Amino acid sequence: MSILIDRDTRVVVQGITGNQGRFDTRYCLAYGTRIVAGVTPGRGGEVVEGVPVFDTVAAAVAATGADASVLYVPARGVKDAVTEAVEAGVKVILATAENVPRHDAAAAIALARTAGTTLIGFNTNGAISPGKCRLGGIGGDRTADLYVPGAVGIVSRSGGMSAELAVALKQVGLGVSTCISMGGDPLTGRKMVEYLRLFQADPETRAMVIFGEPGTDNEAGVAQAMRAGELTKPIIALIAGRFQERYPAGVSFGHVAAMIAGSGDSATEKRAMLRAAGARVADSIDDVVRLARIASSDHALAP
Amino acid sequence: MRLTEDHAKAWLRGQGLPVPEGMAASSPAAVAEAAARFGGRVAVKALIPAGRRGKAGGVALATTPSEAEAAAAALLGRSIAGHAVERVYVERAVAIVREFYLGFAFGSILPRVMACREGGVEIEQVHRDSPAAIATRDIDPARGLRPWEATALWTEAGISGPLLPKLARLTASLGEAFRAGDALMLELNPIALDAAETLTLVGAMVEIDDAALFRHPEWQSLEAADLLQARNARERAVIAADRKFSGGAIRYTELDGDLALMVAGGGAGLVQHDLVVDLGGRPACHTDLSPAPTVDKPRALIDAMLSNPRVRGLLIGYNFLQMAPCDLVIEALVSVLREKAIDPRRFPIVVRLFGPKEAEARAIAATLPGIQYLPREASLSDAVRAALAAMAQRGPGS
Repeated sequence: MSILIDRDTRVVVQGITGNQGRFDTRYCLAYGTRIVAGVTPGRGGEVVEGVPVFDTVAAAVAATGADASVLYVPARGVKDAVTEAVEAGVKVILATAENVPRHDAAAAIALARTAGTTLIGFNTNGAISPGKCRLGGIGGDRTADLYVPGAVGIVSRSGGMSAELAVALKQVGLGVSTCISMGGDPLTGRKMVEYLRLFQADPETRAMVIFGEPGTDNEAGVAQAMRAGELTKPIIALIAGRFQERYPAGVSFGHVAAMIAGSGDSATEKRAMLRAAGARVADSIDDVVRLARIASSDHALAP
Repeated sequence: MRLTEDHAKAWLRGQGLPVPEGMAASSPAAVAEAAARFGGRVAVKALIPAGRRGKAGGVALATTPSEAEAAAAALLGRSIAGHAVERVYVERAVAIVREFYLGFAFGSILPRVMACREGGVEIEQVHRDSPAAIATRDIDPARGLRPWEATALWTEAGISGPLLPKLARLTASLGEAFRAGDALMLELNPIALDAAETLTLVGAMVEIDDAALFRHPEWQSLEAADLLQARNARERAVIAADRKFSGGAIRYTELDGDLALMVAGGGAGLVQHDLVVDLGGRPACHTDLSPAPTVDKPRALIDAMLSNPRVRGLLIGYNFLQMAPCDLVIEALVSVLREKAIDPRRFPIVVRLFGPKEAEARAIAATLPGIQYLPREASLSDAVRAALAAMAQRGPGS
């Protein structure tokens, strides 16, 4: 098992003719992802990397049965692109663009949630169920080297950290059921806790690793669900950005979301909150591996 | 971007909303002239991008033009809440009978509106002391805030009678402005009621979403001025390059250390920075580069980092590149090093860069002896240790 995407997932790529769309599509196909269609208005009838291009998502879905979409659409076009994909009936949408205008983001998220569509992003490099399917750029050209199949579910605010965590786990013999780069923008299609609930329900996933940053209430949601007894599998948390607390409030470091906006959402506060709720809080990637090893000996995580 | 009061109020006035007559001025004489033209009492306020100016001594009331002139003279040139006061806002004073609070912002998913029947107060204080006094509603972004929803909001806040529809209509219009203006935050505190039962927006704070500036040409020049004021030449150069070239966003914040830290991806950058600090290093900057298949942006970033006179070493400590090739980053590095005649045998450069086109990247790096390109198994921590060790070996001041 895995969550959201598997061997049967059929993918349409919106913006397949662009630089990034082409680049990722090539590697996704090489990995075995079933990319069945591309969409670029005005380019219908062309073929990119062997994939037929359509003018609209609806036409692509009708012709190919695509049920997931990856968006290589600039931030200003994201709201329309999400709307088009939702209306065409896909079930999972991955939106890669970062810095989506906040009002557009809120509208797109509300639309997708109402339709029951899982919108991953914004500002994500992808999602992967190792050995089965990858959406987006996650894994680059050496996907199989970075992500091996296994029993750990990963949800990360950062795409780069997804890979670091997967590789570190691999080095101690642990693999990944599904890894979701949930997006680094302030507003994301789904909250961290929603993915963890899916992992909780997934029989293959035995433990979960989360990567968080300062800003947003994602970790607060996780802590609350843990306290409520909804998440009982071991959760290992790495929360970066402690260094920010040495600088004045309001200085922006990295992801726009990762700003010290006020009390309650600094790295230190999140770490304390998660620890109190029962999560195993790591100090570094090496520490994640150590904790994952302990969790695996407790819960037979190794494949 | 936080708007100063003159721009915030000009914008609200442009949306047809009730704002007192007012203008910005940079001399006491201009303030006196404006006060004489408005007639009656005026408020003179420091024009700085910060809230709580009243508490900080940034607001004065004057009954005559000469009092207004004196108030302006006292404010201009002062520093309030860390901001130099170069201009003041002079505005016709409203004879306030009653005050209300209204705020629009984003919750964790949806836009949200907050109302309170007590205005002119510190809303955070009210929130702490009597949270029930604040009525809150999420806004459906597809429909916006409807007038009847605004009515329900103010009913919940304890308003009834003829005032209710007036406040509700104004609130719905402000909700529309919040959305149309791509504001992240719009706070009206206070909304004033005068003896003629007229509502006026006396206090207005607006923060605009920088990510939406592309559709707001009216704010773009303001943002440019804002950036020019706030940052040094190297930071400005990165901002200019970020706008000029295509590809993922680059950000550069200069700090007071000596290790230039080039990291990709916001998250790994935070991890890397934590590691440097934990191991006793002092970063000269924080960077964030969204990996993309381009060379111009990394080049601009490396150029800025290596132009900083405090820098004594460079760590290119990426996470595993997935969406971009490695060779373009090294191409950018080598071109900047050649241009600046920096010799990596004397200036420590540690690279931890794995992913697509890594072999090509290593080949380019090898053309300049001295670049320490770490092997595949090196972790983010290994990279930090290598950089700090190389700098320690050089010793300070070399």
